[in-house]
Amino acid sequence: MRWAGPAALVVALLVPLVPAGGYQQYVVQVATFVLINAAVALAWDIQARTGQLSLAPAAFFGLGAYAYTMAALRGVPLPVAFLLGPLVAGAVSLGLGVVTLRLHGLYFAIATLAFAEVVKVIFKELPLDLTGGAVGLTAPPLLGGHQTGLYYLGLGVLLLVVAVSLAVRHSRLHYAFTAIRQGELTARVLGVRVVATKLLAFVLSAALTGLAGAYATSRLFFVIPEDTFGIGLSVTALATAIFGGVYTTAGPVLGAIILRSLEEGLRLVLREGYLAVYGVILMLVILYLPGGLVSLWNRRSRDAAGGD
Amino acid sequence: MNKLAVVLVVVALLAMGGTEGLAQREQVRIGISLPLTGPASASGKAAEAGYRLALDEINKAGGVLGRRLQIFIEDDGNLPAKGVPIFTKFVTVDRVHAITGIFGSAVGVSIVGPAKLHQPLIAMLGAASPLVERGFADYPYLFHYHPWAYHNMEAVFNFMDFVRTGTGASTIAILYEDGPFGSAGIGDTRAELIRRGFDVPFMESFKTGSGDFTALLSRAKRHPVDVLFWIGFDADALPIAVQSREVGFKPRLIFGTPASWPVGYEGNPVARDVAGMAGWTSASPLPASKEFVKKYQAKYGSLSEEYMAPMGFVTLTTLAAAMNKAGTTDKDRVAAELAKTDAETPVGRLRFKPSRLSPSVHQGFDSDLWMVFQFREGRRVPVWPKSMAAGPLAWRWR
Repeated sequence: MRWAGPAALVVALLVPLVPAGGYQQYVVQVATFVLINAAVALAWDIQARTGQLSLAPAAFFGLGAYAYTMAALRGVPLPVAFLLGPLVAGAVSLGLGVVTLRLHGLYFAIATLAFAEVVKVIFKELPLDLTGGAVGLTAPPLLGGHQTGLYYLGLGVLLLVVAVSLAVRHSRLHYAFTAIRQGELTARVLGVRVVATKLLAFVLSAALTGLAGAYATSRLFFVIPEDTFGIGLSVTALATAIFGGVYTTAGPVLGAIILRSLEEGLRLVLREGYLAVYGVILMLVILYLPGGLVSLWNRRSRDAAGGD
Repeated sequence: MNKLAVVLVVVALLAMGGTEGLAQREQVRIGISLPLTGPASASGKAAEAGYRLALDEINKAGGVLGRRLQIFIEDDGNLPAKGVPIFTKFVTVDRVHAITGIFGSAVGVSIVGPAKLHQPLIAMLGAASPLVERGFADYPYLFHYHPWAYHNMEAVFNFMDFVRTGTGASTIAILYEDGPFGSAGIGDTRAELIRRGFDVPFMESFKTGSGDFTALLSRAKRHPVDVLFWIGFDADALPIAVQSREVGFKPRLIFGTPASWPVGYEGNPVARDVAGMAGWTSASPLPASKEFVKKYQAKYGSLSEEYMAPMGFVTLTTLAAAMNKAGTTDKDRVAAELAKTDAETPVGRLRFKPSRLSPSVHQGFDSDLWMVFQFREGRRVPVWPKSMAAGPLAWRWR
């Protein structure tokens, strides 16, 4: 199914141009948030491929968002401020990774969760004129707030995350990540520098999440610690990747498209109780398709090839 | 035959579309964005009930401009990622004549961009953060009904002055939740209380919904104070009252300012004499409030104590009245009429004036909206201001 990726890209490029009548701008808005969700979920998946469960995406998303906002408000040119998002998130993740990546499983998950909470509190408690405290700051829009332009910028952000994911998939890193996930001892025997490789995955993931944070803020025009560093973002990233299919590039992107469209569609059709239906569908997919939606695709491909 | 069928189907579809378009044009449409799910849903649902009550009343009285008023209620979950597309849908799909609702500040500030792009008339129900006020600077079509956060604090200070004058209270302990609701301007709050002659020997933050305040209250107990002032959410109300007793912390008044109180709190013995601030209670002596209570009970068979219910009612009725006075749905003329609003409402007198930080924004209610009540005999009894009081302030905490 080599055509699927290019076809999806063509569709994504055409979204703002499709004559959807009155629904056009609404569709572009929803699609923009799909791009953000997909970028964060895929960035999370990149580090998850080393077998580490990080609950820190919200922290890196928020760091990227605040870096952009604080720099932009101090007169830094917007494109430079935008790039500061991934740089700051990446730099902070390097420090965190050095300290925590020797931890495993739940210990690592809890350490990252605690880190996300600590960062949120720090941004609340810093001087008001610096971070705006608990109230937050208003952020200047990129591209003058032009909706279609921002959509394509968001698409560019997602494509960059996809490119990094594919580059990892088609390099020796993929084997290193997989070996670490399946057993660190084995990976070491195979000559993999375990901590350095995990650190690389963690920093890559954090920088890309920070980029998504900077982008989202330039689109939403504000940062508020409680929202920008909200744990819900980490949970959504995790759920989206699992729903679509972990350790793949297509899975988290597909997960974001389906989940967001499903939620929006159910809300428009059902009005009442749509979240219950949404939750049931999410549960059923996770129960009966542990490999996520992409596993359906893989199963079909195997059947078509006559495999078992 | 096939060709004929296709032609008939196309004609039928066009006719249906045409009819629907005509029907849509004939109605006056208003979009309402509310948190009907998530942590703020109690307020959102109360507001929805108020809006629906107003809708019935407006349409029974002939609608708006002689046409039926149609509302589109959407659940934004208090999340910008939902609120922004909903806002855009109202403008571009539903083609509404005005947008109202918008309860949370995060949603309020995130719609600044789309609002400036499409320039709709907005009658904002909530969103008290100054970020929203600053974000809408130079926007001429925003009518913000709810007081801003600084208005809320002004009401608290005025009540505290009343307590000090009436009882001689001079010391306050402050507990505040660490989110924007509790933390915004908390340093200024303390400074202002000190400036007004209070001693604030204890002030600490807490995580809302944590349920365990014993450590915090035990520390507070070391500073015997007259008033315990807490800023948090409904989930914190019961633990604070119960655990204050448990640890033997006995301020002479517990005063809380959650956005809403837990259902059934008034019936709990520990709630007795706990004071709270509200934009409205069903015991309000205002004639417009009594009228509202009667209509609300007639429609729903029960009574809401959430002030968002009358707030929703007031927002839609004043918006519809402005459209009727303007004789058109043209936003400039409706805005001009809405700006002239001077109405006795269930929550008090509504008049718009230039907002303090962004004068182009039309600000409705201010610190005068708020009243303080105490839970007594399973009811909320207004005790302040004097004009609203149905009983004296019960001072010694039991």
